[in-house]
Amino acid sequence: MFSNPEVPHESLPGTDDLDWHPLHQRFVRRLQLGAVVRVLVIGAVSFAAHLLATGGDSAALGLLVDRLLPAAVAGLGFFATLTIVWPVIAVPRRGYVVRENDILYRTGVLWRSVVAVPFNRVQHTKVDSGLLDRRFGLANLSVFPAGAEGHKIRGLGADTAERLRVYVSERIEAEATEPGDELDSPSPDAAPTPVHP
Amino acid sequence: MNPSASGAWQRTSPFAIAFFIGRTVRSLTRNIVQLIATFGALAVLIERNPQVALAIPAGVLAIVAAGVLRYWFFRFRVDEDRIHIRQGIARRTALDLPFDRVQGINVERSLLDRILGLVTVGLDTAGSAAVEGQLPSVTSELADDLRTRIRAHQPTGEAAEGGVGDGRVAPSERVARPPSAPAESLGQVVHQLSPGDIVRIGLANRNLVVAAAVLGLFGQSMDFAEDRLRPTFESASEAFVGASGLVQALAVVSLVLAGLAIVLSGAFLRYHGFTLWREGAAYRTRAGLLTQREVVVETRRVQQLSLSHNLVMRLLRRHRLRALPAATLPGQGGDAQGVHVAEVLEVPLLRGPEAEDLRTRLFGREGRGLSLLPQTAGFRRVSPHYVRALTLRISSTMALVSLPFLVAVLMAPAEPLPGGVVGGVVLGALLVWLASIPVAALIAWVRWRRQGYLHDDDGLASRSGFLGRRVDAFLFRKAQDVAVSQSPLQARKGLATLRVQLACGKVVVPYLELGVASRLRDYALYRVESSQRRWH
Repeated sequence: MFSNPEVPHESLPGTDDLDWHPLHQRFVRRLQLGAVVRVLVIGAVSFAAHLLATGGDSAALGLLVDRLLPAAVAGLGFFATLTIVWPVIAVPRRGYVVRENDILYRTGVLWRSVVAVPFNRVQHTKVDSGLLDRRFGLANLSVFPAGAEGHKIRGLGADTAERLRVYVSERIEAEATEPGDELDSPSPDAAPTPVHP
Repeated sequence: MNPSASGAWQRTSPFAIAFFIGRTVRSLTRNIVQLIATFGALAVLIERNPQVALAIPAGVLAIVAAGVLRYWFFRFRVDEDRIHIRQGIARRTALDLPFDRVQGINVERSLLDRILGLVTVGLDTAGSAAVEGQLPSVTSELADDLRTRIRAHQPTGEAAEGGVGDGRVAPSERVARPPSAPAESLGQVVHQLSPGDIVRIGLANRNLVVAAAVLGLFGQSMDFAEDRLRPTFESASEAFVGASGLVQALAVVSLVLAGLAIVLSGAFLRYHGFTLWREGAAYRTRAGLLTQREVVVETRRVQQLSLSHNLVMRLLRRHRLRALPAATLPGQGGDAQGVHVAEVLEVPLLRGPEAEDLRTRLFGREGRGLSLLPQTAGFRRVSPHYVRALTLRISSTMALVSLPFLVAVLMAPAEPLPGGVVGGVVLGALLVWLASIPVAALIAWVRWRRQGYLHDDDGLASRSGFLGRRVDAFLFRKAQDVAVSQSPLQARKGLATLRVQLACGKVVVPYLELGVASRLRDYALYRVESSQRRWH
């Protein structure tokens, strides 16, 4: 006989005293290198654009250097410092926890958030890694619930990501084939007054 | 087109050509910018060389020919457990759709279909295959046959249960009956709309309210209009301004009446003969004056109920209810790009008690402590700090939006403006912005008053709105993921925002106490993880 005793709210497992797993140590360096590459590309592209716009006119370029370049360099420098320093602050504040029935992921320094994805709602999972990720031996794990964009946990070690993916997939399989899934579904879902005698 | 002739490839009726032409025209008009550009270029070319005008009949002919070809290449085969659809002229597509993947059959009947006793069947897969899963202008017998087969292949064995409710849309589908005909044969009628109700829907049309407001302004600012409209509408504008007050009033009244006629006929076209009835474990709506649309949603697939009313509806004491099913099915698409919003079961106008009755029908035994009615006393307010945060957000958005305008105004003159003028303009703008902060605060306060939440052991209802109101209700066990987030202000005050992702969208409750938000999240997770029941 199916039983479903009530659970007092206080006894539910919370997220306050969880042991959050940090992301991979190399993830900070990977983000910093990514930021450096981005800054170099932006700088090169905008310099090339200016060269094209002024047609290599040295007088115009001189004017440009006089007026705009200091501001641009200062802006770019600030941006670069921020993007290089930021991962040092942000990465330790990210983390994940895998529990028996769900996976939790927390992010954010100023705007913080914790998202929890139950395994029995995950539709599929994905592991991907970009060029830089592979250079640092990292990978990203995404879990996709229905009707939503996936949640991407970036900066896991490649092994960890793959192990997690396999684990989550196994949990999804287990949830899908658990007995009772089909048994009690039709009748309680039906409207309260069945028409058939 | 004998329904029993399964296993053989067949074509639909030739009247489907009209459907294919319609689809081509619709896909052309969807990209309206491109269309206008094309016609603009065409107009210029015709002016230079009148022979180019021949392109127009040629284009029409091409669209008709494409319709005929599409009909010719459209074939389908109904097997015991699946349907195959092949279509396309140059780019052939072959769809192989197992019946257990089909969420529901939606039937649409254009005027032509209704005269001929045909139906256009949409197989609702809630996946990316939705557009391909359409059978235009087939016989009602085939639709019935498909329905029977799909019922028999539903995964949870509703075949037995669904049949009892006399779900087969038998006799009235076969003959194109007037929609006002009694629908007893289709199951238990739950809700119907009278012509008076449809007039109310028309009156509550948002566009009408906006148009009336614009017209009111227009009537008062004829001087401005005269200057602006002179080049284009010179004669009309002059006649209007020159006319006596009575004639002007008459003109405004007739414009209002014309607008009213448009929205009312729109409402009748869409909702005439609206009927909602229950068949087995599903609910079905049918409505439409010329083209009749049917939507079927199974009770267990409903993820969220949304009750809303705008200002006019509120004055009329009526609501609109939408039951949203899941947007994607497992194994189909899944990536955000493939998300397709399934057919929504909509009751465009109903009273509060009727909405509550429908809630208990759709949520079943669960969520008995919830309410969809915004005035319910049980709704709890969120933290008053929400007013402050919202004021800040509105004011900073206004500043960010108006900043480019200010810069443009200052940069526009060819000669650089003297410093005094620039300072004056900036100071003026700053004063206007400061003066707007109380308005923003008032807006934020009204929105805070509307914001609220209510929950029982099974589900949660979230209320929001500004002029109108809206309540979104869902069952905890249908959640997909749950997030608790904190902005810097929230973190200082010990508050948090709860976001519950459902398969049809997101329900957000802002500015809860952190403890409440965390407990609600943990409880929702517990309900999801301990539930053994299908959520879709």
